[in-house]
Amino acid sequence: MGSDVEITTPKATKQKSGFVTTLTRVLKYSGVRLLSLFITVVIGVYLTIMIANMGGYVDQMMKSEIQERITMQIQANPAFRTMDPATRSQLTQEKIQSEIDRLGLERPLVIRSMGFLKNALTLNLGRAQLMSSDSGSRNVKAIILERIPYTLLLMGTANLILFFSTLFLALALSRKYGSFWDKFVITLSPTSSVPPWFYGIFLILIFAAVLKILPFGGVIDAPVPKDFLGRALSVGRHLILPASSLILSSFFLSIFNWRTFFLIYSSEDYVETAKAKGLPSRDIERRYILRPTLPTIITAFALLLIGLWAGAIITETVFQWPGLGRVTFRAINLYDTPVIVGTTIIYAYLLAITVFLLDFVYALVDPRVKIGSGGGPQ
Amino acid sequence: MKDNNTLLHVENLKLYFKASKGIVQAVDGVDFDLPNNKAVVIIGESGCGKTSMAKALLRLLPKNVAEYSGKILLNGVDTMLMSDEKYRTDVRWVRMSMVPQAAMNSLNPVLKVGDQVAEPIIVHHSVPKEQALDQAKTMFQRVGVPVDFLHRYAFELSGGMRQRVAIAMSLVAVPDLVVLDEPTSALDVLTQANIMNLLKRIKKEIATSFILITHDISTSSELADNVVVMYAGQIVEVSDNRRFFTAPLHPYSAKLMASVPRLRGKEQPDFITGQPPSLINPPTGCRFEERCHKRFSKCSEEPPTVNVDGILVKCWLYT
Repeated sequence: MGSDVEITTPKATKQKSGFVTTLTRVLKYSGVRLLSLFITVVIGVYLTIMIANMGGYVDQMMKSEIQERITMQIQANPAFRTMDPATRSQLTQEKIQSEIDRLGLERPLVIRSMGFLKNALTLNLGRAQLMSSDSGSRNVKAIILERIPYTLLLMGTANLILFFSTLFLALALSRKYGSFWDKFVITLSPTSSVPPWFYGIFLILIFAAVLKILPFGGVIDAPVPKDFLGRALSVGRHLILPASSLILSSFFLSIFNWRTFFLIYSSEDYVETAKAKGLPSRDIERRYILRPTLPTIITAFALLLIGLWAGAIITETVFQWPGLGRVTFRAINLYDTPVIVGTTIIYAYLLAITVFLLDFVYALVDPRVKIGSGGGPQ
Repeated sequence: MKDNNTLLHVENLKLYFKASKGIVQAVDGVDFDLPNNKAVVIIGESGCGKTSMAKALLRLLPKNVAEYSGKILLNGVDTMLMSDEKYRTDVRWVRMSMVPQAAMNSLNPVLKVGDQVAEPIIVHHSVPKEQALDQAKTMFQRVGVPVDFLHRYAFELSGGMRQRVAIAMSLVAVPDLVVLDEPTSALDVLTQANIMNLLKRIKKEIATSFILITHDISTSSELADNVVVMYAGQIVEVSDNRRFFTAPLHPYSAKLMASVPRLRGKEQPDFITGQPPSLINPPTGCRFEERCHKRFSKCSEEPPTVNVDGILVKCWLYT
């Protein structure tokens, strides 16, 4: 199959000049594509900044919060009790003003948002307003980096198992259309309307509360095991229930989706010809069903990889799993704009890079796709 | 029962499908013989079960099959008794190959056409890839496809070229029988003529039998040794080239022939009124009765197949 992987130029005789034109075409295409993706990211992040600030309403909230806090401070401070009310009120106003100046709330949001945007795009994520990482840092980067390993561990394990098991089960099922197992999966596919945390609660009930063989939640046993193996085993044990609930909740629907997808592609004429040619079933599945559908499968897989980044908010909460989903959720509740923008910008960059790379991957796996040649397949 | 020269003997072949409204009797008890190195043309209107018969012969069954029975003797061996795996290794492509109806879509879009043509011999004859590609190259030359097309993809080829590739693919494992299911229906008239000429040449050069399924009577007349006329899932006439194209016996065949425009002569093309009957509940008696200009009282009963000087015709007129 390795020989299939090349961007073909129509005329073999003009190979040299063909290579140069291909190169310029690809470079030009890449430039235009990167620029347009960058503009998309800028727009997306700017919208996030405006929404996270609620179009400036968060400024109002912060101003009144400052006003209230400082008034209370001064009233509660015995040192200012003896002051006459006019001076005290003036002092209060001054203090409020200096706090507002310090936070830069005086300038309109539209102007400040440009600074936010620049910081976000350069990955200068800044400091959180209210939240802090478990180690006490206010750095948004620290808050996010602290949670990433846990989120990737949980989401990665669950989604990778889910993706590959459902893909190959679906391929097998699509070849046995109408069989018992096919009908079984179709019947069970509505089980995916139940969210993963619901399965989580049941799994906790069964395996933690009743059977007492797996922990209720968290990532590791309370006295942390000293050796690496012990720690890995402990984390593994804690991983089983949340990962299973994530897998369970999408398992049958995912098989159903892929099976339908493969069914459509197995009714192509070339699959029937392959059958008439007497190719073994495995060859038909590999070369005539999987291979032509590879672009779609790769897209789904790439999107899954970025999806890992988002975390699973409620499932993480149910299992007390210290992942990114919970951080995002808390940040939204607290209007902690830098944290919201920080998670969004990383997500946006990952998505843009993936979309950009996918175009090249398509050209590698599908000879009908040519980078930057404008028209699609005939 | 049959002489040694019979390649294919089909007896009471049935292929029924389940549909939402009932059972579709697409192929309903078909008998015919095909001698070695002959071409038989199967003609009839759309929806007469021609393609279904090709599928039944090649065991390419859709998922909603209700009944699949009868005898298909290939060189005296009943293939209907074989298991799927034995059928795959012993019959598919090595004995019986096909050129599909839409050859445009019958090539895998992401594999090079040369690899696809070479594939059957790699699988069936365990030939190394190099040698298989050499043979594919020979086949390409034979059907008039430039050899460097071996390394192209199907979407880079024109319709006519794809059709030639499909024909090369069907011949590569030297089968005893090639089933061509309307091989020219998706092509323009000039390309059709080219492909028909190619088939005529190949028929002369190679000792292989052909079953050509078509509704294009005029082009098939040049290729056919024998003619089989199908109507509503049944065979109504089995004749030979010489006699069929001058004087068909069955009223349906006569009407079909009359519908073909003539190059010389003053007759205007005629047409057949009405539609073929639904195959879900086909009428009892002669299935053509409703549209027949020669019907009489007996036609409401199932007609027998009569042998008129070697021509088999399923009609009461000849009893």
